[in-house]
Amino acid sequence: MEFKKFKLFEQMKPTIRKEFIFLLFAALITGGCRKIFDLPKEKDYLSNNINFSNKIFEPILGRTNLMGGFNADNSTMPMKFEIVNARFGDGRPVTDLFQKAPTYVWTTAYNGLEKSLEEIEAKRKLEEHALFEIRSSGEFIMWASANNSLIKPRPADSTNFPQDTRYFDLKITNSGGQTVIKDLQVRPWRERPYEPSNDMNLYTGGPAPDPDFPNNPNTRDYIRPFMSNVIGDATDVNLGTNDDENDVIVYIRPFTGGNGHSLRFKVLNKDSVAINPAAFNETKWDKLVHGFNMQKTTEYVQYDVAYPIPLVEVPTAYAPGGSRAHAELKYSRIGFGGGRVVATFGIDFAIYKKGDWEIVFHFKKDNPKFQND
Amino acid sequence: MRRNILFYTALVVCLISFKQLKAQTQNVTVSGTIIDKTTKSAFPGVTINLEKPFKALIQSGVDGHFTVTVPANSTLVFSFIGYISQREVVKPGQKNMIVIMSEDQKALKEVIIVAYQKRDKETTAGAVATISGKEIQDVPVSNVEQLLQGKVAGLNIQNNTGAPGFRGSVQIRGLSTLSVSGSGSESFLQPTSPLYIIDGVPLDADKAAEFGFQTQGPGISPLSLIPQEDVESIQVLKDAQATAMYGSRGAYGVIIITTKRGNSKIPRVRYTTNFFVNAPPKLRETLGGNSERRAKIQQILLNAQNISDIRKIDQTPFLSDSLNAYWNNSTDWQSIFYTTTYNQTHNLALDGGDQRFNYKANMGLYSEKGVIKNTGFDRYNLSMNMEFKPNDKFRFFGSIYGSLGKQQKGDGVGLLQQGVATNGQASTLLPPPSFYQASGGTVSALKTLNDNSSRNIRANVDGRYEFIPGLALSSSISYDYTSDGESTFTPAAANGQFAKVYDYVGRNFTLYNRNNLTYSKTFADNHNIFINTFNEIYKQGAQAGITRQERTPNDQLQGPLGFDSYNSRGGGVLSNYKNATIASFAGSFTYDFKKKYVAELSYRLDGTSSNGLENPYSKNPSVGLRWNFNKENWFEKKSWLSYGSLRLTWGQNIVPTGSLKSIYGIYDLNGNFNNNPTIGINYDFIPNPSLKPKTTTQYNLGFDFGFWNDKLTINFDTYYKKVDNELFDRYLANSTGFLRITSNDVGIANYGYELMITGRVVATKDFTWTVSANGAINRDVLLKLPAEYNGQYIRFDDSPYKQHVVFRVGRNTLSNFLLINQGVFSRDGDVPVDPVTGKRYQTNGIPFLGGDPKFKDVNGDYVLDSRDYEIAGNSQPLITGGLSTNIIYKKFGLNIYATFTAKRTILNNALADRFAIMRDPYAQQAVVPLNNLDIWRQQGDNTKYPTPYDYARYGQIQPLRADQTLWAEEGSYLKINNVTFSYMFDRNFVRRFGFNNVRVYFSTNNLVTISGYSGPNPENVTSLGRDVSSGYPVPRTYNLGLNIELNTGN
Repeated sequence: MEFKKFKLFEQMKPTIRKEFIFLLFAALITGGCRKIFDLPKEKDYLSNNINFSNKIFEPILGRTNLMGGFNADNSTMPMKFEIVNARFGDGRPVTDLFQKAPTYVWTTAYNGLEKSLEEIEAKRKLEEHALFEIRSSGEFIMWASANNSLIKPRPADSTNFPQDTRYFDLKITNSGGQTVIKDLQVRPWRERPYEPSNDMNLYTGGPAPDPDFPNNPNTRDYIRPFMSNVIGDATDVNLGTNDDENDVIVYIRPFTGGNGHSLRFKVLNKDSVAINPAAFNETKWDKLVHGFNMQKTTEYVQYDVAYPIPLVEVPTAYAPGGSRAHAELKYSRIGFGGGRVVATFGIDFAIYKKGDWEIVFHFKKDNPKFQND
Repeated sequence: MRRNILFYTALVVCLISFKQLKAQTQNVTVSGTIIDKTTKSAFPGVTINLEKPFKALIQSGVDGHFTVTVPANSTLVFSFIGYISQREVVKPGQKNMIVIMSEDQKALKEVIIVAYQKRDKETTAGAVATISGKEIQDVPVSNVEQLLQGKVAGLNIQNNTGAPGFRGSVQIRGLSTLSVSGSGSESFLQPTSPLYIIDGVPLDADKAAEFGFQTQGPGISPLSLIPQEDVESIQVLKDAQATAMYGSRGAYGVIIITTKRGNSKIPRVRYTTNFFVNAPPKLRETLGGNSERRAKIQQILLNAQNISDIRKIDQTPFLSDSLNAYWNNSTDWQSIFYTTTYNQTHNLALDGGDQRFNYKANMGLYSEKGVIKNTGFDRYNLSMNMEFKPNDKFRFFGSIYGSLGKQQKGDGVGLLQQGVATNGQASTLLPPPSFYQASGGTVSALKTLNDNSSRNIRANVDGRYEFIPGLALSSSISYDYTSDGESTFTPAAANGQFAKVYDYVGRNFTLYNRNNLTYSKTFADNHNIFINTFNEIYKQGAQAGITRQERTPNDQLQGPLGFDSYNSRGGGVLSNYKNATIASFAGSFTYDFKKKYVAELSYRLDGTSSNGLENPYSKNPSVGLRWNFNKENWFEKKSWLSYGSLRLTWGQNIVPTGSLKSIYGIYDLNGNFNNNPTIGINYDFIPNPSLKPKTTTQYNLGFDFGFWNDKLTINFDTYYKKVDNELFDRYLANSTGFLRITSNDVGIANYGYELMITGRVVATKDFTWTVSANGAINRDVLLKLPAEYNGQYIRFDDSPYKQHVVFRVGRNTLSNFLLINQGVFSRDGDVPVDPVTGKRYQTNGIPFLGGDPKFKDVNGDYVLDSRDYEIAGNSQPLITGGLSTNIIYKKFGLNIYATFTAKRTILNNALADRFAIMRDPYAQQAVVPLNNLDIWRQQGDNTKYPTPYDYARYGQIQPLRADQTLWAEEGSYLKINNVTFSYMFDRNFVRRFGFNNVRVYFSTNNLVTISGYSGPNPENVTSLGRDVSSGYPVPRTYNLGLNIELNTGN
């Protein structure tokens, strides 16, 4: 039996080699399928319909603008975006958009519960960025560091001539190919350091005309507070504020003598004399704004704050809607008929520029009534 | 040593020659019995010849007995078709002889059917696999196709539904379509079943699925109407060369089913019966009664956002009013719908005759009740055939099949039982079904009367005449008529207090004629040619209509009177109306040299009415080469190689996919002009007169090896299959006035490898053991899409599941388009912050927090939305195959069949739905325990699944949304589907009771599935790989069966 087995093995040997050749042949044929039959390679998808829903970008200088509208039409991300051929309408190259400046970027989520300025500052840091950028999502960013002096805003005469408009093309690349979206435009608005900004002419930065008399250069528009149950001291009627009656108006304006990052609240009576903040007895001064080191004088209340206000557009105790800080002053008195009436006034505001700012409520025509009826 | 051998050899030679000398003088009368090796039973009808001089002697009797008188020392040759001829030398003085006949399992000597002609497998180049009917007998199934699973490499069958009488999905060599219908979990791939040819008559297995998978139309697949007992053999043609001559529909492969023929001198009566139990799989665990209430209240207390959430408990009586008898139950809703069923089948076969004239009749009854109550399938069939072959010149074959299938779908559509799925999730606190019903859904599922039946009659005559040797004309005519009816009566309690009647009546027919002319000739001994030409004509028609009567008077009167005519609908012809003609001409030429080198050429011309006017004919050429290299001189003496061959083929095939509408457009009545009615074109799509049929082109390279007298056989095939001209809608610019055009601009390629290995490990008289394994790897690649799509098209899913399907050129054809889940945010602080805006990563305006899923922010805008989908996964399996082992020891037999599928993505929607029950603790839904799952519970947990309990933020965050890769799981599995254990009773014993043969067997189906998949069954998913919670579960079957053959002889 031993002998037989050995013999079988002997017979097999030369043919195994032939078999091997067959297998080699097979492997050659099969292994090269992709090559032989020229199968296409998978590529990223780049849609023919890539576009922006709006090709004119109108950022407001001095605050962070995130401008979307990019429709990738399900093209494969990540894509490489490149701003090319930036020029004015008359052919002059545009360079001011791409200057680099330090700007704040967030690293940790702000939630309105921070206990100190340091805690807030620890959540953001300064980084060098071009003033105008595009990020991986196809969204354009005009950083807050872009101001009127670095970038010339649109002309004060409200014209939109091509020579004043910045044009650029956007080159979009992924492994599926490349496409160029042409003639995107940037028309920056000049800085509006605070909101509401209806007292400011958006083109010139000067005072805005009175909405009732737009052609009268002697009158102007004012920021108006919200208010309720505030009764005039002399008139005993509810004070109001709207386009027609300016019983109370608000100034958001810088003051001098601060530490560079402070915010002051002040109320003026009809003689432009400050009312003691203590009169607003129901006000929650510690929740008025997300500020620290409150200084309460007989003329004003001042806080150290981090700008911009609000820091992040998320709902917090200080900014219930997210986009505007809510400052509310309150006082109470016994009203007509013996009931306690709570009078409130205040403003939903935002301030974008770091500095020493004061928010002034000015009772122009009549003082608020604090006495009981 | 050597000297000894020489000595003994000389001695033996001397002895033999001495005996031969003596033999000249005397005759011997010997009687004996012939026994079939596999069945161990008497073998009637075996021809016994004397070898030298050649002389036909006798055939064995019904008991396998024979008596012959021959000269001593002469050799008897026992032969029977399909069996190895046995030679026995009659020794002087010998009286008795026992001859054991075993089947001829030589793979290469097989006769296969190619282009309607029986051919030696040796001389055909196509990739063909054959399954004997014996392999599919012992497990009762409603559809014989189920048992082909895992038996042929490259034939991917997924038995993805347990609904009785329904088919799973069948693909030969990968994907042939990207047409997806439906939405959400219920989106399905258009079925591309191979062409089935039953005894030479082509039929359409996808018939009942013409409206797509989820809206399984009325009627029953013709494949479910064939009793498995009547199947002689099944042949699977895989490559284009084998299928090229089948032309239309051959592009998806061809499966040829041959039914049994009469084959016994003495009429045989054989009876098979099966009693089987279908057990539903393990059902979903549910918290019952008070523990459900407590779980819900706890969930509310821990996750409430405000006081009104907590107050809402008081306003929800089923949570707060625990002493109310109506809310104080513990109902197991699932057991109301799912049940174990006891079923039976009976089949009686009667046959007789020899090769000159034979006949067969087969009667069958199959009755199966589904594991979901109120569903089931019954089949009754009677088939007969006869073959008459008075001489070698003339042959006549006739057959008639009649069958009736009756199916109950309950109130679902069969494959999907939405009503059962929804009601099975009802709160256990609700009272069980009684006179008062908590929900109409229960009545609907249990009391809806559904009767879906198909009555099919198929007749076929086939004649052949050979004018001169080698030249033969044959003609075949068949007529297949099916009448489908489905009626559904919905009782009033299940339909808002108004009973409803639905009735569908449809009919369809196929008239088919084929005329063949064949010529075969051998020149100079070595050169063989074979020419086969034929023409084929199909005439197909179908028409159906629906009546729906709303608000019938009561539950006793089920129409047709007294309905509400305003809400009722009916009449007219449905859009599946069909009147089609296909005319084809085909010819093939085969040449072989000594059966060593084989070359085949074929050409087929198909004209169909569903091709565009400008391309009425499609041309399907094919070329095949085969080299049987074991016949080369250098292999001649290698006894270890029993055969070896190399095959190379190329061919092209079509499937008509267009419709008359897409070619000619739709013309509507558009009102009047000048008092004359006007007819104008429908602007929805522009007609495309140059529409082409779907074309597949395939290359195949194959090797066949047999070693050591076929103890080990290996088949290897590799192929490249290209599917062109797949229909695809292109949307047009609105300036054309039309919305879209049906075009041919999609191409898919499949390439892969198939391997089949069979080892006959032991083959002795008492003990045989065979092991077989097969497997296939198939990769598909999308080749092209219409140009304007630039290489990608997303089929958006508008259902709440949002599981989009994406087609991308260069990638596997069917990919999912999902949000990429990268885990769970362990803590609130882990959520990334947008450096520009300072906001947290968010969705729907709500920032993510710890316990929420971590979705990949694909575009980097810190907002999760529809722009963050990515291409992922492949819903089609990469590897499929099967394993089997067959053991016969004396009278015992054991067969085990297993199948496997690997590398496919399944979206576990069932689990997503199960989690989603937690979305609303106030809803009257059951609570499923999630303790065993890795879910987030507190800050710092690192888990797989996000928290399902935070119901207040659920609507915005949608942590368990279905369109994420969290549910995409690997769907590989190994399933032991059939185990059969059989015992053959001793023949002498059973004869006493008047039987010739009795065999008893115990078998199981769908026994156990081994898989890492977290759902119940990775096979029970749709063709797009979605595990639908409303799907019909696949039951486990235990069967006791009996084969009896009556003693009809003396």
